[in-house]
Amino acid sequence: MRTIALAAALSLTVCSAHAQKVIRVWHTETQPNSQEAVKNIARRFEARHPGVKVEVEALAWGDLEPKIMQSLAAGTPPELSHGQPITCTALQSKGLLLPLDDVVKSLGEDNIWEQVKRVCRVGGTQYGLVHAAGTSLLIYRKDVAQKLGLKPPKTWADLVANAKAFSTQGMAGITIPGDNLFINILLGELVKANGGVLFDKQNRPQLATKPIIETLEFIRDLTQYAPKGWEGHGYLETFTNLYGQKAAMMYQGYGRGASLIEKNAPPSIANAEHFDVWVKPVGPSGREPAAQVDEEPWMLFKGAKNTREAIEFLKFFYQKENYLEYVQTVPIHLFPITKSLRADHDYQATPMIQRWKSWIEVQEGYLNRDQGKPTLVIDWDDMNSKPYLMEVLGSGILRDMVMDVALEQKPAKEAAARAQQRLEELLKSKGYLK
Amino acid sequence: MRAARAGWLLVLPAAALIAALSLYPVGYGIWLSFYNKHAFFPGEQFIGLANYGAVLADEEFWRSLRLGLVYSLSTIVLQLLIGTAAALLLNEAFPARGLVRAVAIFPYVVPTVVAIIIWKWLLNNQFGLVNYALGVSISWFGRDWIMVSLILVSVWQFFPFVLLAVLARLQTIPLDLYEAAKVDGANAWRRFVHITLPQLAGVLFVVVLLRSVWMFTKFDTPWLMIQGGGAEPYIRTLPIYTFQRTFAYYEAGRGSAMAVLMFLLLVVAAALYFRLWRREEQL
Repeated sequence: MRTIALAAALSLTVCSAHAQKVIRVWHTETQPNSQEAVKNIARRFEARHPGVKVEVEALAWGDLEPKIMQSLAAGTPPELSHGQPITCTALQSKGLLLPLDDVVKSLGEDNIWEQVKRVCRVGGTQYGLVHAAGTSLLIYRKDVAQKLGLKPPKTWADLVANAKAFSTQGMAGITIPGDNLFINILLGELVKANGGVLFDKQNRPQLATKPIIETLEFIRDLTQYAPKGWEGHGYLETFTNLYGQKAAMMYQGYGRGASLIEKNAPPSIANAEHFDVWVKPVGPSGREPAAQVDEEPWMLFKGAKNTREAIEFLKFFYQKENYLEYVQTVPIHLFPITKSLRADHDYQATPMIQRWKSWIEVQEGYLNRDQGKPTLVIDWDDMNSKPYLMEVLGSGILRDMVMDVALEQKPAKEAAARAQQRLEELLKSKGYLK
Repeated sequence: MRAARAGWLLVLPAAALIAALSLYPVGYGIWLSFYNKHAFFPGEQFIGLANYGAVLADEEFWRSLRLGLVYSLSTIVLQLLIGTAAALLLNEAFPARGLVRAVAIFPYVVPTVVAIIIWKWLLNNQFGLVNYALGVSISWFGRDWIMVSLILVSVWQFFPFVLLAVLARLQTIPLDLYEAAKVDGANAWRRFVHITLPQLAGVLFVVVLLRSVWMFTKFDTPWLMIQGGGAEPYIRTLPIYTFQRTFAYYEAGRGSAMAVLMFLLLVVAAALYFRLWRREEQL
């Protein structure tokens, strides 16, 4: 009798397990409170949708792309995942993504910023929808700058001069990360700020052009004032340098730095009066500043099992109470993609937004003037016309070029020629370049 | 005849398992090396030996090979020296020897990821304990020092393997050999050179062979060293570059060609090693 009861219980469990639909969600917000917010949203969604389970996994930035690729190769992609904008367009070009137009409709197309809608949008269809946006920032020690009488840098030469002046104060003039992703981000936005392009319309790399040579020389000049061994510093280490008072400026800063400063800097200086932001300067051949926009889109995978439920989950994610909880976890970095939430009183009343207003204003300026682009994207057209940017980023060729100039002291032209040759070989092997 | 068939049938499951788990992946890797194949997307194109040609013409390949040789040779030499010295020490009688022996193998049992996280903290150039203790400001993960850091961490991690192997052999050397040498007036150094070393030769042969293969193909330690910062180009050894070609450039064919070449290099090195060793034995 006991055996029969056990077997019945077991079969019921198996049946219910079969009935449950699982939505696998991968995201890159590794900060504990952001992870908690996504989990909370998932639990609320499950409560409203019996029979649906949301499995949330937070992944480090560097791990995400390989993991997505491996899951696609294995035929087991998650339902939803964050990804670099250039990854999104690369996957879309291979027909691996499903449209998110239903989610866009539920939010109201006009309610979404124009800048955000340009990410992973192909032929009027939205294949990726940004979870939140934030731009890179030039963060500096305001108190030290005031003491030295430094002015906001308008040109790259001004910035180098400021870095030099800061370096007389017992700290490095500037801190920048040396890892592949951030060097690619840096190079992309500097080339844009100097009026250059990385590739022409025929996909030929343009590394030997004047704007890029000038960019390399600028990085070489600037990194003279970076801490010794800067090339070994990761992104989070550069924040440590900043709030640990080892460096006075940070070129690849982001809004999440405000949270880190409040948490880790000595209390007497952990505020916007001591850590402020300048608008990024313009290169000698450029006309306007440029910043990178950190705006990973949600992607819905064609090969996933429960795509309909995943769309419902995304709609739920963007509902005001859920989305507000999410963006408030890193309020200076995670800008909502909807105009309605941006104007919402509850959002505006977020205490951190009140405390770090100048940081918000500079980011809004970049976004409103369309000066912010995703990694390695110079013009919006690149998003769809250059599906190889993901491979270019992964290859590390651009980072090697920067290191050749900044560390090995090779002439910029020589380093650029070597990288040009490597990139051409890469693109030819993939059939993008004749 | 029937007995022979039964024997084959009995061996078959094991042979099938070996073929499935070992030969198939190797064979697939070799097959891939003749194709232009994206690492993840379907479809491939036969290109013969073009991948091999491209690899041999790639200056990064040669640079990675050079870095890999620097890394593996220096770590092997240091592991041998430190491991053997530690084994000789731990073969002597002293109080709490058992405890010291247990502690000595600790680095080898610590998971690599844990070891690297600990060392990255210790060697942090701004806030690390090592710089503080030494009173220096060395950028351990910068261009000039990252290879040194990698070698130090690897030697720390793997010398206990040498220690264990050598210590086990030391404990089996007959003591009367030493006693006879003492009677003949041999001092400690001569006893070491003429008794201990020859007795250790067999185990050192195996240790050098294994550690050479493992260090030359070592991936996890350098890979973890460059996660979240670390001047990667300066410790981009051949396994790292092969991984990048496959999973960052998304070139499975070319990555496989590199892996095959790495395998061939090891086969040639092992063959040379065996040949040299045999000659030594004949002397």
